Amino acid sequence: MVDTPPTLTGDVPSDDRGLKQVTSRLRARERTLKARLAAMTPRGVFIVIDQTHNRLYLKKGDETMLEAVCSAGSGMVLKESSGKKREWVFDTPRGRFEVLSKRANPVWRKPDWAFVEEGQPIPKNPAERLDYGSLGEYALYFGNGYMIHGTLYERLLGRAVSHGCIRVGRDDLRVVWANAPLGTPIYIY
Amino acid sequence: MMPQRTWLRRWVTRALVASACLSLAACSRSPAEQQISDAQAAAARLQRSTAMLQRKIELAARKDFYLLLDPAAPELALMLRGAELQRYPVLGLMLGRPRVAWIQRGGHRPWRGVVWSGGNLEPPRPVLRVVQQDGGPSQEGEEPTAPPVPPTAEERYPVPSRYLIRFDDGLSVEIRPREADAAAGTWARWRTWWGAKWRDVVTAMRPRNRDALRLRVVLNPRDAESLYRALPPDVRLLVLDR
Repeated sequence: MVDTPPTLTGDVPSDDRGLKQVTSRLRARERTLKARLAAMTPRGVFIVIDQTHNRLYLKKGDETMLEAVCSAGSGMVLKESSGKKREWVFDTPRGRFEVLSKRANPVWRKPDWAFVEEGQPIPKNPAERLDYGSLGEYALYFGNGYMIHGTLYERLLGRAVSHGCIRVGRDDLRVVWANAPLGTPIYIY
Repeated sequence: MMPQRTWLRRWVTRALVASACLSLAACSRSPAEQQISDAQAAAARLQRSTAMLQRKIELAARKDFYLLLDPAAPELALMLRGAELQRYPVLGLMLGRPRVAWIQRGGHRPWRGVVWSGGNLEPPRPVLRVVQQDGGPSQEGEEPTAPPVPPTAEERYPVPSRYLIRFDDGLSVEIRPREADAAAGTWARWRTWWGAKWRDVVTAMRPRNRDALRLRVVLNPRDAESLYRALPPDVRLLVLDR
């Protein structure tokens, strides 16, 4: 590879005073842009989830505070054979999210697909949808029904088995819970 | 005879020194000129730096994933909204331009400081979807069958020994693991080399604006595999220019 020396583009002043003015303007612009870029990069703690390798990283700046094995969406397609013949795809969404709410001892309100998957009739009574304990000790919601939560099936961590949520082991979930306040950015790729 | 020879030698030496001094004086700049030249170079560096910052801000403002390749570090980073998601140390970096019959095709297009878009894997990563049909209402006392344990990422996605990330405007980034060839035998290495050369020749002869520039990035084998398995679709790329 050949490195070309930097050359000034545009109107190039040839006198010392003109050059000083250009340099000063560029320095000021560089400061502004650096500040703008710094404002865009996450400050404080943030969560990165590699859904292919089923890993969750709790980071602060360049430091990785925690690397946890997790379970992301399986990518499975569930088809309903009767009734409305609905279809669900269990993918974990990619992109930037935020911790919108946190719950200790969360209760899962089972959606229709949970009953369809188990071959059970969909209950009419909302109380019959409530499931206690299956989400573990804590849940961190990040929108559209997705959350980071615990699991009863820790032996499956490291494999994509969830319905789109991020499942984390008990001890790692405690660390995430303790360090990720509301508004913590979550980056999923 | 001796004094005459000494006199001649002295004059030749003086003439040589004088001519060397004259040529040095002609070549060297005055301090003022040197100062202006230094100031111009510094301003040019600042201009490059601000242009790079501007591009980084543009990329961070979008919802797309992007790659930042820093040839000076050297490293490749997967980014989203200004956050570094994964960093891959680069072990080797080369730029190639297509040549047909020893003649370079296309002009010298810039590749640093340009945002390349629409980057996708070639060969593409297979999307494996298991389709499950609901079993209807289960019988009383019937044990629900446990779903099969899905494979891990390593089991699910085999990674080719070399692969490309192709961008819309003619740039392709070839990712090679450093020790990809070391483990294979001579025949297998020769076959791979020949296959790659043949594919490159065919690609170079195509009139399309494909492979107008190729960056070969050598990564650690584990990083190369990890990048293939995890790269989101339609990424952008910025090669930093310092």
